[in-house]
Amino acid sequence: MNKMLKIFLIAGLSTASFAKPASAINYTGAISAKRVGNINISTISPNDGVWRGVGATTVILYPQQTIKLNDAKANKLNAANLAKKVQVSAIYSSSAVAFRLVWSDPTQDTLSGIKTDVYGDGFAMQLPVAFSDPKKLPYIGMGSDGRPVVVSLMKAITAHYEPNGKGDIEHQLSSSNTVLFGDELKAYKAKVASTGNIPYVKSFISEGFRSMTEVKDGSAKLGMKMSYNPKTKQWTGVVAKSLNDGTVRLGGHGALPVSFAIWDGGKLNRGGVKNLSSWIAVKLQGKGGDDALVRELTATPSGNATAGKTQVEAMCASCHTLSDAKKAANPYMGPNLKDIGGYSTNAYLAESIKDPSAVVVPGYNKNAHKNSPWYNVDPKTGKRTSTMPPMMTDDKMINDAVAYLKTLKAGVEK
Amino acid sequence: MSKRQLAMVMDLNKCIGCQTCTVACKTQWTNRNGREYMYWNNVETYPGDGYPKKWMELGGGFDAAGDLKEGTIPNIQSDYGVPWDFSFDEIATFDYTKNNPTPAFRADETPTWGPNWDEDVGTGNFPSDNYFFYLPRICNHCTNPGCLSACPRDAIFKRDQDGVVLVDLDRCQGYRYCIAGCPYKKIYFNPKLSKSEKCILCFPRIEEGLPPACAQQCVGRIRFVGFLDDEESQVHKLVNKYKVALPLRSDYGTGPNIYYIPPTEAPAKFDAEGKIIEGSERIPVKELETLFGKQVHDAIKTLRAEKDKRAKSGESELMDLLIAYNHEDMFRLDNNYYQEIAKAKGNANPLAPIDERYVKGKYTTEISHFKAEEHE
Repeated sequence: MNKMLKIFLIAGLSTASFAKPASAINYTGAISAKRVGNINISTISPNDGVWRGVGATTVILYPQQTIKLNDAKANKLNAANLAKKVQVSAIYSSSAVAFRLVWSDPTQDTLSGIKTDVYGDGFAMQLPVAFSDPKKLPYIGMGSDGRPVVVSLMKAITAHYEPNGKGDIEHQLSSSNTVLFGDELKAYKAKVASTGNIPYVKSFISEGFRSMTEVKDGSAKLGMKMSYNPKTKQWTGVVAKSLNDGTVRLGGHGALPVSFAIWDGGKLNRGGVKNLSSWIAVKLQGKGGDDALVRELTATPSGNATAGKTQVEAMCASCHTLSDAKKAANPYMGPNLKDIGGYSTNAYLAESIKDPSAVVVPGYNKNAHKNSPWYNVDPKTGKRTSTMPPMMTDDKMINDAVAYLKTLKAGVEK
Repeated sequence: MSKRQLAMVMDLNKCIGCQTCTVACKTQWTNRNGREYMYWNNVETYPGDGYPKKWMELGGGFDAAGDLKEGTIPNIQSDYGVPWDFSFDEIATFDYTKNNPTPAFRADETPTWGPNWDEDVGTGNFPSDNYFFYLPRICNHCTNPGCLSACPRDAIFKRDQDGVVLVDLDRCQGYRYCIAGCPYKKIYFNPKLSKSEKCILCFPRIEEGLPPACAQQCVGRIRFVGFLDDEESQVHKLVNKYKVALPLRSDYGTGPNIYYIPPTEAPAKFDAEGKIIEGSERIPVKELETLFGKQVHDAIKTLRAEKDKRAKSGESELMDLLIAYNHEDMFRLDNNYYQEIAKAKGNANPLAPIDERYVKGKYTTEISHFKAEEHE
């Protein structure tokens, strides 16, 4: 009983009342996770008692603009997207971590029935498979070579069926193609409905967008739920995941990097067309260690953004789009940097300027824009080398450029 | 580009629009499991809006610089047509002893469009210069597929052994960029699986030496199937030797591998008195040029010259090919070729579909490393 009480007291500390420890780390911008006795991964829900007394931190999710996709309608609808505010609450236990996300969305979009051009709203949590060097976190866009991430995804899709799933061929037949009537037909339809997988909760392992592969062997211990409140026009999503399962090895840390994404089906969001946060530090209350990670992810860039602007515009704008006004000469050559400051860490930006081939994600389909190769592939080793040469070597120049790039981001939705 | 490429030739002079191919495909693949609205094979009337509606105006494919163009994803109600069910169940349980029984046989949808909605409409004035012809369409298994290029998940692949373009259903996440990217709109979204699906060129049949169901069942025997690099195949002869079989809308830049013999054998036009206008073309060559490119002029010349030659001398290899004497010659597939590939891969069952990715996914905790393939 005494022990329980202690846990409750520690757990009772909310974000607002989080005391600064002696090392004087600035936790602004970090999420504080409250310690709870137990997180039931499979039954976690938005109204779960475990969320009682847990504060919320505002996390900004920026529109992802990296590559131009080819859906004409979606491109039009998402051309002027703003960043979105998401209220994030966090809890952890000895073996699991859980987040509750609340965000506004004017419409509840669900993919149900026979529709070809409707998309469901959704949300996702991204965790690195493992991490040690806070300056070398996986690329935010679903990881990078040798720095894999695990993405936990939920979409508002009513029922879906696995192809070849469960080896049940008989019940794949459309009900009008059966010879059944009456009660037999009803039973058939019920059986078909029961073979559908509800809800649409999936786990993926990825080393850069495009390499994303679904984890189907049950090794990801994951629970997700989402519910829409039509009165407040808000989605609430919860995600709980084991810190040591077949996919991630994150136990024992004092803080974790996490990122979130949300999709607005009403704007035909799916895949890369979404809002995405940068890596956010999650401080596990009452647990020591990983101060360097928190420092790294909450640091403001030290460089001079004005000096950086001049440099970047002179050196980068021929291949990278910097804003709607500063469009690249070739729109397919380099990733769009319009919102790069919103979802990239300082360390990633610095690393990519210094050594462009350190992180080369296979996100771009060589076949789609064959005259604008982002990178070349060694046919023997499969290693990708960026087409971009190292642009700056001087640390001051790099710091200034990072300071400027961090300012490139969309405005925040009210 | 794949090592080898399977191709199909369809002789439009002989297509009677009977839809036997459509039904062969539907019963083989698309009458179930969320595919009910899909027609991997359809026969549309040209000129016409086709299926999906006005597909030629929906974008996709590549521009002159080789960049993938934007496209629009069709809507099921207005562009494809919703498959409807009839109220069989209600009829079976309907109580006809009650007062005023109304006929209970109804459709559960009021369709506004569907495959073949504008069948035989065509254009022009009857009988002087009206015309239409049938245009059977399947996936073009392109050399440079728009769908493959558009996929941000690397879920679409082109088989090296025969160039068949397939969707890896384990990788597909249902984003539908492929549909926007395909200028022929021959890849479809399966809402029941939340994944994209398309014509698979009946690869499980092909691997056993059998032609695709649509080609096998064609009553007009308009379809030839074989490897383009096989000089003995009739496909090779029609496409490469005589150059009378041409790809559809090659201006989309995807390198389609389904070829068409252009429709040249239409009756001449009539004048106001109903007399034949000698030498007139009922099907405007300009329309054929839109569909099949400038090469259509040479193809028409060759076809007519060979027809004359046959009439005069009784001999023409090309005309013999187009008569389509027997299936054995029209379909040159190589069951042994696939068995050898299977053996080399150490596949215990040589007749199992060879691309395991399609049938069985990677159920694994290991990371699937993305292999960047060089496309030419």
